[in-house]
Amino acid sequence: MKRFAFALIFFLFPFSFFLVAQSTQFGVVRLKVRYKSSEGTKDLPRKRFFLIKGSIDQNRALIEKIKQTSLASLECYYRSHGASEALIKWLKDNDCESVYCREIEDKYLSGAEAVPEFQKAFEQALNELKNREVARRWLTNYLAPEIRSGFYDEKQKMIQALLSGPEASTKAKVMSIMTDRKGTGYLTNIEPGTYTISNVVASETDKTSIVWICEREVKATDLGTAMKRPMMLSNEADPKVKCEVVERPLAACN
Amino acid sequence: MTKRAFIFILVCVGVAALASAQTRRRPRTSRPATQTQAPRGSAAKYSAFLHSSDKHKSLTCNECHKVPTGWAAKRDFPDVADFPDHDACVRCHRQQFFTRQSMIGTGPAICTVCHVRAAPREDMRFAFGKPNNSNQQAKAKDERQFTIEFPHDQHQNVIARWRGVQSVRLESHHGFKSLKADDKKPDYNNCSICHQTDMSLAIVALAAPNTDPAMLHPFKSMPRSHDSCFNCHWKNQKPVAADCAGCHQPAATFIPELGRKRISAKFAHEGGKGEHIAECTTCHINITRASTTRGLTPDVPINACAACHRDSKKTTYPKAVTIETELDQFKKTGECTYCHAADVGKKRPPPSHDAAVQ
Repeated sequence: MKRFAFALIFFLFPFSFFLVAQSTQFGVVRLKVRYKSSEGTKDLPRKRFFLIKGSIDQNRALIEKIKQTSLASLECYYRSHGASEALIKWLKDNDCESVYCREIEDKYLSGAEAVPEFQKAFEQALNELKNREVARRWLTNYLAPEIRSGFYDEKQKMIQALLSGPEASTKAKVMSIMTDRKGTGYLTNIEPGTYTISNVVASETDKTSIVWICEREVKATDLGTAMKRPMMLSNEADPKVKCEVVERPLAACN
Repeated sequence: MTKRAFIFILVCVGVAALASAQTRRRPRTSRPATQTQAPRGSAAKYSAFLHSSDKHKSLTCNECHKVPTGWAAKRDFPDVADFPDHDACVRCHRQQFFTRQSMIGTGPAICTVCHVRAAPREDMRFAFGKPNNSNQQAKAKDERQFTIEFPHDQHQNVIARWRGVQSVRLESHHGFKSLKADDKKPDYNNCSICHQTDMSLAIVALAAPNTDPAMLHPFKSMPRSHDSCFNCHWKNQKPVAADCAGCHQPAATFIPELGRKRISAKFAHEGGKGEHIAECTTCHINITRASTTRGLTPDVPINACAACHRDSKKTTYPKAVTIETELDQFKKTGECTYCHAADVGKKRPPPSHDAAVQ
């Protein structure tokens, strides 16, 4: 009997590795995000998407909150905080949500393109740091907080508030990735299961803001397969993808 | 007066004068009310400084380290570039500095925490950041007592906006080379703001016919100095420069990542005959999910290379050397040489390489 048990274990031993290997296989999702506007179909660049455990139905309470959440447009936010026309133009020209996204060049400190907020901050910085080049590079330290990164901070607060529930229930940070300029992003090393994929707070496009709430069943797969079969998110109806899309026109600023 | 009494008075006056000179050397800062004198202990005990001692742990960093300190001669930006002032030590360790016992022999042992020799006129100090950790053996790696906490994803968020194609200048070891107007390359500002071409690194010595200078400096650098942090976090934007603990946490041992292990040592970001113009995150597919630099994975899967370097793409990239070619080469010579140096190139190609070109 003992000999039989030993033989059984001996022959089953390699299969245990196989089972372990199978169970530790992870999934990959290649996201491809596009939107259709009056100017045609465009890729959605540089936007963060979150991978939330559970189906849309399982996350219904969160999804309702996401749908109800709205954020002032970037332009309206800055106008409401008294930003100058020049600063708003700088933000738009540079496709920026905050002053951190570009180095502030000399031409914005004096001359025709000067931004008053930058000029004032630069003068304060120069007065304190005594070095023109350092003052230019460090001038964001001397801007008012709402001008510096107020819009971005508000958006992050909203995202944090919305994701605090899922993070508390899983006791882990919700995984997120950012799309590249072609609207592509990879969610890798995911445990197989059903997930909700969303940008959580609406992303501004040309004339609208869009929030995607999509469901995906992730199976163990390799990157090569995922690359060939991307998960397409769009503001147009697609029967292949289970998505709830909320698109709102950008409101005019008061 | 006896001779012995005269010598005793002389020593007392000397010590008093020295103490006075020490405390007058720099303007005094107000002493926190909670500070108490350290117990005497042995001199040897105080010859080593430990951030991790109970007393030191109870202090905030800026009770000793003032921001900025001693930067003018060493940096072109305000920084903490030197040891704290004497007052930071003396306010608790007066006994270790000024008792009679400390004045005999080689002088107060506590001085040798920062100073090379313990002598009143000896100003030579150890390099800041590498104080004398008393008789510790030199370590092979650059071990530190504090980690660096850096939320990579948050920084990527604020700078990651897309402005489209701009003219750029290619940096080569021959100097800057302006590109022609019709020769524009995209500027992926979101990464290049912190990661520039690493001019200190030339991993592979190239054979003479290969004169592409971009190949000599194939990789990107990582921010090394406080300048990269203080440009936004000097004041107001938390964590500010004076809040050391906002970025640095005590650790038993922390070895900063000074360079990644290069698997494809012959890859050059600026190479590819000028065709490596994809956005950084197109190949570094996991980088945007990293919420910290620990476990940050700048890895590039072979599938990213296969997007161009495979036989089926030859019509688009006629000059590209393909993975299939290299796999054939391995069968003949036992080494993949196009992307890899010998340490990696002589190993059997992993299954992912075959799968990528299936």
